[in-house]
Amino acid sequence: MATGFLTDTTVCIGCKACEVACKQWNQIPADGYELTGDSYDNTKQLSGTTWRHVAFIENPKKRRLTGDVDLVALAEDVREQLPGGAELDALGRWTFMSDVCKHCVEAPCQQACPTGAIIRNEFDNVYIQPDICNGCGYCVPACPYGVISQVPHDGRAFKCTLCYDRQRDGLEPACAKACPTNSIMFGEVEELKRVAEERVATLHDKGYTEAFVYGTPEVGGTGGIGGNHSKFILLDDPETYNLASHPFLPQAKVKGALVTSAIAAGVLGAVVAFAFRD
Amino acid sequence: MTDVSQESRQQQNGRIESSHHPETDSQRQDKNYYGIPPIKKAHWTWQIPIYFWIGGISAGVQLFTTLANVLGHKDQALTRIGRYTALITMILSPILLIWDLGRPERFYNMMRIWKLRSPMSNQSWALLVYGNLSGLIAARQAAEDGLLGRNFLSGLLTKLIPARLLGVLALPVALFVGSNTGTLLSATSVPIWARNWAFMGPTFLASGVSTALSYLSLVLHLGRWGEKKTHHVLRRAERLTILVETALIAASLVRMGKWGKPLFSKEIAPLFVGGTLLAGIAAPFALLFGRETRGKSILASVLALLGGLAFRFAVVLAGRESADDPEAYFSFAKKENVVEPQDNI
Repeated sequence: MATGFLTDTTVCIGCKACEVACKQWNQIPADGYELTGDSYDNTKQLSGTTWRHVAFIENPKKRRLTGDVDLVALAEDVREQLPGGAELDALGRWTFMSDVCKHCVEAPCQQACPTGAIIRNEFDNVYIQPDICNGCGYCVPACPYGVISQVPHDGRAFKCTLCYDRQRDGLEPACAKACPTNSIMFGEVEELKRVAEERVATLHDKGYTEAFVYGTPEVGGTGGIGGNHSKFILLDDPETYNLASHPFLPQAKVKGALVTSAIAAGVLGAVVAFAFRD
Repeated sequence: MTDVSQESRQQQNGRIESSHHPETDSQRQDKNYYGIPPIKKAHWTWQIPIYFWIGGISAGVQLFTTLANVLGHKDQALTRIGRYTALITMILSPILLIWDLGRPERFYNMMRIWKLRSPMSNQSWALLVYGNLSGLIAARQAAEDGLLGRNFLSGLLTKLIPARLLGVLALPVALFVGSNTGTLLSATSVPIWARNWAFMGPTFLASGVSTALSYLSLVLHLGRWGEKKTHHVLRRAERLTILVETALIAASLVRMGKWGKPLFSKEIAPLFVGGTLLAGIAAPFALLFGRETRGKSILASVLALLGGLAFRFAVVLAGRESADDPEAYFSFAKKENVVEPQDNI
């Protein structure tokens, strides 16, 4: 049975309960008090000490206020035609997204890991065994989503464990438990896939035709990654959320690089041997 | 208040730019999240580029001395230096690599699994094999040279260790170590490295052979060792290798395209253009022509060696800049650029 997350960003209210719950449950060290000055986001990104990160995207796209504006409708983001020719969706909007490890089907970090510390556990989640990791740091640039980083003073690499310990006890991960709007859903990957498709269809019916699922083999889990167990429902280009639209598995070309290197070795050998002739 | 001012105020209202997030301006085409890097750069410090340099020298020395052996060019001084160099580099390499680990005391976990898909795992095992082979070969050489004294053990080592055969066996492993330093970087999500996957290994190997030939020439000159022919062959091989290396760097730059920009940034251009291309390749190449003098050869060797070191640093530092640039990564991680596993080489 494979478990994963579905993070529906359309209902996220940016409360950061998931960040706090994750930090508390997993006893992750603090990131320090660094005020970025960017929006309300001070954790900035996922890292070895931030396993859930809420992105605050200010979206001042349609900003003209014309006609007789119904502020209540505006706040509720209703899109039907309004009397007086008022255009809605006129104020700047917030887009929130609670980012997390994507738990790839073919995980680049796992393939990079030379110690075998990164494994797939019985829930088919990508898990770093902290007692094996020796902090080589090779998984860090391998991750196409910038999820993992090495924790200073500890030396090892850390990332979301999908609350392996809680799952073993039959509990859902701390972030999903804490989420007040059910933006973060936890469950079986196949079930969540169905939920995601239904939700996107509903959103399309409501007029949000830009909604799509990120983390499928078509978008987000591309290039040999084979999809993600953590999926997201997004309302804008993936880049807006600091996600690549078409990431790839970096190890796909290791064999090819070996072949080109062997050819180069042959050529260099021939060149040096040529220099030996009298 | 007139209608006009009302209108303009409403327009202004809409157009208010918040002071601290101009990145979300809808007029801008480059979408990213406050310029925060979407991928993480490697934390590797100075030990890693120095290891890349030493590993390349080791591979090149093994190539030259083994070929000299196989082609019947017997130069005792060359063989001796080659064997001791292999041992010294294979002692230094693991020290540097373990030093850079977050948990150095757990280095042996590299040996609990072998993953063909992980260049770092392959590298660890190759270093283990090559290190032990060069240790055996150097032990035989030390016994022959009388460094272990004239005793029974010395005689036994000389008799039991087939140094020439082991040297031939070590060659492919050494060449793998030399090229894999480049492949290791290319198997990441960093655009400047990943884009150039086909030429990273070959370029690092060519640069390794070039620095190794310079190293051999330098040591032989400094000690006033070696036959005349050895010096001559080294010089000739170095000229040719520099040509191969230049061609590979040129091919890399073409392949990298716009993602190769960090190599020419203000911080890295002195290392890459000044240190590698001019001082490390063009200058030694010019010095290798004309009358052969000891001073000129030593200068050329020192320049080529430092150039190789500058090249390793330039590539590693450029990778950091590349990883920190959201535009570079987002424009790279597009459907048209991605390398699919089923693609041909």
